[in-house]
Amino acid sequence: MASAIGIKVEEHFHSEEQQRETAKLGMWVFLLTELLLFSGMFVCALVIRVMHPDSVTAVALHLKFWIGATNTAVLIVSSFFMSCAIELSRLGRQRPMVMCMLVTAGLGMLFMLLKAYEYYRDYAEHMTPFLPGRRYELVGDPASRLFTDLYFIITGLHAIHLTIGIGIMLLMSWLASRQGFLQRHQNRIEITGLYWHFIDLIWIVVFPTLYLLNR
Amino acid sequence: MSPELKRQLRTPLLTMLALLALLGTNVLLGIFFISGHMWIAEVFIATTMVASVIIFGMEAHKEPPIVRLFSGLGFFWVAILFTLTMVDYATR
Repeated sequence: MASAIGIKVEEHFHSEEQQRETAKLGMWVFLLTELLLFSGMFVCALVIRVMHPDSVTAVALHLKFWIGATNTAVLIVSSFFMSCAIELSRLGRQRPMVMCMLVTAGLGMLFMLLKAYEYYRDYAEHMTPFLPGRRYELVGDPASRLFTDLYFIITGLHAIHLTIGIGIMLLMSWLASRQGFLQRHQNRIEITGLYWHFIDLIWIVVFPTLYLLNR
Repeated sequence: MSPELKRQLRTPLLTMLALLALLGTNVLLGIFFISGHMWIAEVFIATTMVASVIIFGMEAHKEPPIVRLFSGLGFFWVAILFTLTMVDYATR
């Protein structure tokens, strides 16, 4: 049975609507700073591609294209479940909403497992030039180090963001399963959703930038 | 499933299917069309995917003008960053 939804208005806001809009604006501003952080690295990756196309192709042949593609699909599906959770929260359907959030977090964990396996394969194939004392597979191609290091920096930073996202999702699932959550904090589901969609968005750019272009 | 819920889940479902189809297209391009100028199509598809996530996933089109302004400004700055940098390197 559907229950009422809403927001507990804090004293410094005039209305529920103002509080809702302020929270969303704050999240968007935060996400834009994150976007600029990632964009700087994407530009670096593209510049390396333009300056050293052969070295980048040599590295790209070692990247696990199918794991990258599968992970993109996993995040797209996870975003769908996040959208379902948001729509269910708007209808006051607390229990299925929490289920969707848990599925979203589960898909995030699946992404991390695949990523961990990919890193393991990279390590086994000696594609870790930043590790001192370990032989680098493309040692005769110094420019390839730039792209390989950038690959680890970009995917590592994304993995940190995703790990934080999974943590927030699990925390929100726990909080949202409490009685009366949607009557007081419905907009927190939407704010969490914005962050999750952003993680998906960043990976949608990471996949072509690192794995796909001019393989 | 109530008709209201079905109606509200329509956009997320269609967005997911469109994104998966676009991803599939990009993967096929990456496998079968490795060289040449196929990167233009791949970048176009990735840009379409990003726009779909922002508009339909993050529901930017439903936001108030101030939020739309901020979201647009962020990507405008990114566009300046990419354009100026890549024009420099691509024309050397």
